[in-house]
Amino acid sequence: MATTSIAANAGKDPGAAARAATGRKRSEYFSLYLAISPFYILFAVFGLFPILFSAYLSFQSWNGIGDMKFVGFAQYQFMLSDQFFWKSIVNTFQIWFISTIPMLFFALVIAFMLNQQMLRGRSAYRIAYFIPNVTSIVAIAIIFGSIFSNQFGLINAGLQAIGADSIEWLNTPWGIKIAIAAMVIWRWTGYNAIIYLAGLQAIPTELYEAARVDGASWVQVFFRITIPMLRPIILFTVITSTIGGMQLFAEPQVLVGNSGGPGNEGQTMVLYLYEQAFIKNQFGYGAAIGWGLFVIMILFSLINWRLVQGAGTRGLRRGARA
Amino acid sequence: MAPTRRAFLAAASGLLGTALLGTSGCGRGSYLTPEGTLSLWYWNRSISDTLLGKAPKAVGVPFVPQKIGSDYKSKFLTSLAGRAYVPDIVGLNDDVATYFPNSDEFIDLYELGAKDVESEYLQWKWARGVTPEGRMIGFPMDTGPTALFYRPDLFEQAGLPTEPDEVAAKLDTWEAYLEAGSQLVEALPKTKMLPNIPSTVYTQALAQQATRYLDEKNKFIGDGPQVKQAWDLAVEANRRKLSANADDWSTDWNAAMSTGRIATFVGAVWAGQILSDGANDTKGKWRVCRAPGGAGNAGGSFLGITKYCRDPEAAFKVISWLQSPENQLVYGLNEMKLYPAAISSIEDPRGQHKDPFFGGQVSNDVFATSAKEVKPVYLSPYDNVINPAFISELTNVWSAGKNPDAAWNDALTEVNRQLSHLGLI
Repeated sequence: MATTSIAANAGKDPGAAARAATGRKRSEYFSLYLAISPFYILFAVFGLFPILFSAYLSFQSWNGIGDMKFVGFAQYQFMLSDQFFWKSIVNTFQIWFISTIPMLFFALVIAFMLNQQMLRGRSAYRIAYFIPNVTSIVAIAIIFGSIFSNQFGLINAGLQAIGADSIEWLNTPWGIKIAIAAMVIWRWTGYNAIIYLAGLQAIPTELYEAARVDGASWVQVFFRITIPMLRPIILFTVITSTIGGMQLFAEPQVLVGNSGGPGNEGQTMVLYLYEQAFIKNQFGYGAAIGWGLFVIMILFSLINWRLVQGAGTRGLRRGARA
Repeated sequence: MAPTRRAFLAAASGLLGTALLGTSGCGRGSYLTPEGTLSLWYWNRSISDTLLGKAPKAVGVPFVPQKIGSDYKSKFLTSLAGRAYVPDIVGLNDDVATYFPNSDEFIDLYELGAKDVESEYLQWKWARGVTPEGRMIGFPMDTGPTALFYRPDLFEQAGLPTEPDEVAAKLDTWEAYLEAGSQLVEALPKTKMLPNIPSTVYTQALAQQATRYLDEKNKFIGDGPQVKQAWDLAVEANRRKLSANADDWSTDWNAAMSTGRIATFVGAVWAGQILSDGANDTKGKWRVCRAPGGAGNAGGSFLGITKYCRDPEAAFKVISWLQSPENQLVYGLNEMKLYPAAISSIEDPRGQHKDPFFGGQVSNDVFATSAKEVKPVYLSPYDNVINPAFISELTNVWSAGKNPDAAWNDALTEVNRQLSHLGLI
């Protein structure tokens, strides 16, 4: 409507029309900007400001109440010499590694089985597999605490029943990590399976039919059709679970506490940040740790991006060829 | 079409504007409750809700109690940092000393007449709410006097005394306690003497001392004998294999208590409540007596008035009424099982109950004696940074078999690093 009225006026006074057009445009743009402004305002308040403020905070010493004291790079120097900081990074990567690989594998297998035409009550299964994801993390931690409990846990009861020695899961470095990884796997396998399922349903059935006509086995179908066609989806889940794994916080906190259990073996990067800022009231140092994590995540994302780029395009090309 | 869209945009911008104005309204003048009322922040089970219901009428001050859920301290710190929506009256936990460097955020209760009631409360407890400069920021609520919880049936099987007085007499020192522990684990191979060394030996032994990590000038004294003795006792308990290595209040702790795998523990009065919740099957099998090494305290809280309070005089009336000796007895001890800080309520016969969980023993006897004998000690604002270094190294000793001397040195190195980071050395 606006354009037609401008076009109608155009013949009479080109200059006025142009002025009217820019005026009109400006107000038009203004209302468009206004329409999208809620996001930017909220982002500025809850996203941009905290980011900038934490950068400022990381050069201060602040207990959360009193005056801030400028300390230059002291917080960063302290961080680099802080063995617990480095330990929390190692812990995070170890837990990420032992949780992500089994999780994505199980998710793929579950999705593949859920996608079978002959399966009855498929929606019930889908809901069942998704339920862990919406279960309260505290409830999960209580259950896993009982399963992995040092002396009286379910797993130890099982080990004793078959005559093996019980393991003090939550007292040993790997025991803690396995327990945390098990919680992550239990909670996120169903979620990833649902994503894979959506990906599987996008694969044209002709491919499967053709494979069946050619006499391909289930295993061949899975590795020659399903996996290659699903590659972009798999890469997506790898990226999201990497992000999730780097931000791991609630699981170790509720299972082994703020300091990460014996020897800080369950202390992840974000948990360490939380402990420093909110338990020890060293908000300046907490902010510095946050920026340390930022750098690490950038590095890790670059590596990830390189890998994904190569593999991703290869996957797509292969998918297109198939 | 255009007017509809324009109307929509106008409505949207109107909404947005209202939202922005609404948030920009919170300056220094923003309060949690309407003019003429006071707000009080507390956490679940810290004050009796029955008492709070009666309070506004009884005191004649309209105040609104607000029970704050999780992350209590973060929320309070956030309100202080934002200088808005700060509660007028606020419950402070046993880490009250962390507010000492910023005691000007609170009103000095001495200026409101707290001196008049000081003699009614346990002196050591009162002192914990007062800064080294003599500003009182926390009014005493509950306390956590400690005692030895033990199983007489297991003691009998191990050839140890069973009556509380006899046990207290024989196990009067930590050395005697550990010795009895060795006797017990030898007689009963499936049972351990105590749950874990960091919290039921080290922390409890340290809680009985008159000094801790820093002196009142915030100079580090944590390498002194008061800490080293507690450390050595914990190491010795570990060497004698007396510990069940079950973290406090964990699944293992509950299971071990229920099945009689742990014979004793030194703990605060409120631990009895956790025990009866977690191991109710053992009802009647437990007793309490004086703890080895003397009286100590673990936990307990305070009420403070922030500098943003609109009517400090009225707020002080509320506080001193809520925590009056009578109310600490009736609504604290008898209703909520919160152990009083007022001397008369500890001694009052109305608080002396036969406790069925302790086989009909009047457990308050033991805790009252303990409460009155706790030594005053300066808890510093930085104990929450120093303490974890010792606890974490002790954990390395029992869980990973680390050499105790190396662990002690590493703990001191870590404390040194933390203190220099804080700018204290």
